[in-house]
This record gives sequence, structure tokens and C-alpha cells, in this order.
Amino acid sequence: MDIERIRKDFPVLSRIVRDKPLVYLDNAATTQKPAVVIDAIANLYRQYNSNVHRGVYLLAEETTQAYEDSREALRRFINAESTQEIVFTRNATEAINLIAYTWAEATIKAGDEIIVSIMEHHSNYVPWFRLAHKKGAAVKIIPSKTDGTFDMDAYKSMLSKKTKLVGIAHMSNVYGTINPVKEITSLAHKAGAAVVVDGAQSAPHIKIDVEDLDCDFFVLSGHKMLGPTGIGALYARKAYLESMEPFLSGGEMILRVTLDNVVYNELPYKFEAGTPNYEGAIGLKAAIEYLESLGRDNIEAYERELTAYGLEQMQKVPGIIIYGPTDPSKKGGIIAFNMEGIHSHDIGTILDNEGIAIRAGHHCAQPLMIDCGVSAMARASFYFYNTKQEIDILVRALKKTKELFGHVA
Amino acid sequence: MSLEELFKEIIIEHYQHPKNHGHMEHPDAKSEGSNPLCGDELQMELCFDGDHIKDVMFTGNGCSISQSAASLMTEAIKGKTLEETRGIMDEYKKMLQGNSYDPDILGDLEALSDVRKYPARVKCASLSAAVLDQALQQKK
Ligand SMILES: Cc1ncc(COP(=O)(O)O)c(C=O)c1O
Repeated sequence: MDIERIRKDFPVLSRIVRDKPLVYLDNAATTQKPAVVIDAIANLYRQYNSNVHRGVYLLAEETTQAYEDSREALRRFINAESTQEIVFTRNATEAINLIAYTWAEATIKAGDEIIVSIMEHHSNYVPWFRLAHKKGAAVKIIPSKTDGTFDMDAYKSMLSKKTKLVGIAHMSNVYGTINPVKEITSLAHKAGAAVVVDGAQSAPHIKIDVEDLDCDFFVLSGHKMLGPTGIGALYARKAYLESMEPFLSGGEMILRVTLDNVVYNELPYKFEAGTPNYEGAIGLKAAIEYLESLGRDNIEAYERELTAYGLEQMQKVPGIIIYGPTDPSKKGGIIAFNMEGIHSHDIGTILDNEGIAIRAGHHCAQPLMIDCGVSAMARASFYFYNTKQEIDILVRALKKTKELFGHVA
Repeated sequence: MSLEELFKEIIIEHYQHPKNHGHMEHPDAKSEGSNPLCGDELQMELCFDGDHIKDVMFTGNGCSISQSAASLMTEAIKGKTLEETRGIMDEYKKMLQGNSYDPDILGDLEALSDVRKYPARVKCASLSAAVLDQALQQKK
């Protein structure tokens, strides 16, 4: 991978912020966009925009085709069997809520159990917590082991006939841990439970094969994988989608409406009420093609190298505390940390002054913060356009932070 | 901008060695507040003597700006009348909002004047004023 050349594809990466070249290390929050994505969206509006699935004229055909091509690109990207299993949503959060308000709403009963991991983002925790509360069901939380990896033994001991649903992040947005989803799924299925895989962090970075993972639901967000904001997707097995009631209703999701009856549209349109975000889908397709052109194995290999380097260099900073696995083979390019006696917001501001963008706060993962006994963490997260030199800049700035705060009380 | 402007020595000093930190036995007023997004937390306790603030203590958790601001604020208002306290708070808010203010009234609190150049951090510095406001409202 020629990173210097790749960086030129991303206009924002050449920005100067606070008199320094931008070092963008908040990729777990959202990623920057290559020119091909920006152009795909601009071209839509310059050349063929129209509503989808409605018009009889050429522009409508073109927009509809582009929208559906995106669905096919996504199908290929996650290796789903059919485009009927790909529902466009606003983001991963909406996709999880779709499951919660339809399938889970109809399935979960009083006394049932939902199992999630302590590493979940609020978006794969709060909807289940709410549902359980409403139904009189229970949410059980799988702890993580001291090295920040998934506790398989604890999980096995929690699974029972009561378990109806297992929610698991494929990659943690704090620890970066890559969870053993295939094994988790196979155990859940033996217990008779369905599995929701939160792929918001994994899809951008590692090869996804929903057939191989054998999960029932998989969700992702376009903006975390070079795509525009406002577009995400739900993958669900066809059998589930067929049995599920619609989520939102109105236009697009019906086949026929008479004075006394409504017939829902076929899959996946039954779950796409209203004019969809075709602009987002078209941008996402350009993002997927860009990722495929780099080669997802190449991306994974390069990011692993960056992560190993990041871990090695950051561990040299005096007073740093790194959370999650420190073995680069067990995680993606996310490094959460704190510095003794310095709050993560102060770290964030000092790094900002050096042109470095990182995240500070609870990362929408407060159960995990509680588990670690902290209220906030700083987090550097990488993508394939980051470089070892940028990690060096980060490490230098962390050392400077330490100096600025002088002796630690 | 230089970082030393924002993280002045006095701010770091008050962060690492806060003044008036802890609890009092019989506070006349108590209040607390937080910035949910960043997790800064603050509790304040006040004890009045007629029109004066006889004593003030705080506890909290958070960044250097939120905690040093609380420490500096307690120093600024201890022993002051309620009217003087309100005057200090008004000037403090003006400073954080980027308006002109009277540095003589603020004293050491002026150390936080550069926070306004970092809009994301203004919330941190404002927390102590908001919590103090609440506590003062409990004074009949
Ligand atoms: C693991 C994980 N799940 C879900 C989400 C939610 O993504 P979105 O806000 O795009 O719905 C995020 C985003 O931060 C995430 O990191």
C-alpha cells in the first residue's frame, strides 16, 4: 500500500489545523471521505437526481439503478446470500432499533434473557435494556477478561434455554478487541438464541462474511467506512425478515393499499418506508468500491502493523495506562488510554493544539467505563491512511502533555 | 496559541492541590451538577453567616479546567457578601462568554480567561458557576 498516494485521495487530510498538519486519529468515531465518495454524491445531484422506485422516466431509472447497485455492493461486501437481506437504515443504531422494535418486540417475553457483552456501545445496550424492562425480561452482561478479551467461560455459563438473544460487538469501539463471533454464534444457536452482531467497528477494517459468521443480524454504519453520514444497513436472514412486522410504515414499504387493506412490499422494501437516503447509498457504494480496490486483506495487514507500532510506542510514554488487549493480533486499530493525574479532556485539548484529533470521554460505553473504574478515557483510532510518523507525532505530544502537567500529585 | 495560556501554572496548581476540597458538617446549602457528555462532576456546600458566605467546600471529578475553576471560585467567594458573590459570578460569566469584564473583581479567577478560545471547554469552566448558582438559590 502506497500510503502517501492514498492520502492524496482524501482532501481533508491535507488540512492545516491550529498551524499544524492535521493528524486525524478519531476514525472509530467517523472516517474521512475520499474524493470518489464526495464526487459520487456531487454527480448524483449534478447529473441524474430523482426519487427512486417511482418515476417512469430515465433519471428515475438511473437513480433507482444506482441505489440498487449500492445494495448489491453491500451484499458482496459482507457476503450475504441475497440483496433481499440488505435493508438500508440511517446508521447502525437505527438498524439495532429496527430489530428491537420488530423481531425482538414480538419474540422476547417475561422471564426471557438477553445476553450482551460489557464492551457494547450504548447502541447495542440501551435498546435491549429498554425492551427487557418493558417485557420483564433480563439483560445479562458478559464480563471481559483482565486482558480485555471476551470471557468465553462466563458466556457459556450464562447461556440457557431462557436466552433468546445475544448482542455482541464484532470489534469493541473502546478496547478494539475483536470478539470470537463465530464461536459465540454457534453456542447461541445451540441454546436456541438469535445473534445480533454490531459490525459498526469491524466492517470498515476487517473482511466480513455473514455466511461464515452464521449470525442472524449484522449492522453497520456507512460513515465509519468512508461513506457519507446518514446511511447504514441491517443484514438479516431472509427467514427473519419474512416473519417480522414492518418497523416504520408509509410510502415505499407497501405493495398495495386499498380502502380496507394494506399489503406490505416484498423484501427488503417492507423495511424501507419513505424516500430513502439514496444519496447516502450512492456515496456508500463508492466507498465500498474504494475499499475493495485497496484490497481488504491489505488494509487489515497494514492496520495491524500500525496498531502494533502504536501499542509499542505509546507504552513508552511515562504514566500512560492502556486499556484493552496489548496483543495486536487480538484487536483492531483502537487504543484507549489515560495518563496518570491528567484528565482525558485535557489530553484531548493539548493534542488538538498539536493538530491531533482524538476522542476523549465515555465513548458511549459507560458500562465498560464503570468496569474499568474510570469516568472517561482518551482514544486514538487508526485507519489505513494513518502513518507511523503520525503515531510518532502523537507520542511526542503525549510526552509534552506529561511535561505540561509537571509533577503528578 | 500557546498551551501555557490555557493551562496556566495556577490552574494546574489548583487542579493538583485544590483549595476548600471536601465536606462540611452542617452545610446550609448543597448543590451538584455535571456535564453529561464529558463526565465532569461537581458538588458544592455552603455555610452562611447572615449576608456573608462563611464557608464553602467542594468535591468533584473531572478535568483540570472544571476542578481548578471550582477551587478558584471557592477561594474568590469565601468570606464575601452575597452581593459581592453575585458580582463575581456575573463578571466570570462575562469573561467566559467573551465579553468585557472587570479583572479587579475576578482576581485569580481571571486565570481562566483563555478558556473562551476553546469553545469545547467553556462548559467545563462554567460548571462551577452553575452549581454555585443553584446553591445560592437555596438561601432564603
Ligand atoms: C461499536 C459501535 N456500535 C455502534 C455504533 C453506533 O454507530 P452510529 O452512531 O453510526 O449508529 C458505534 C459508533 O460509535 C460503535 O462504535
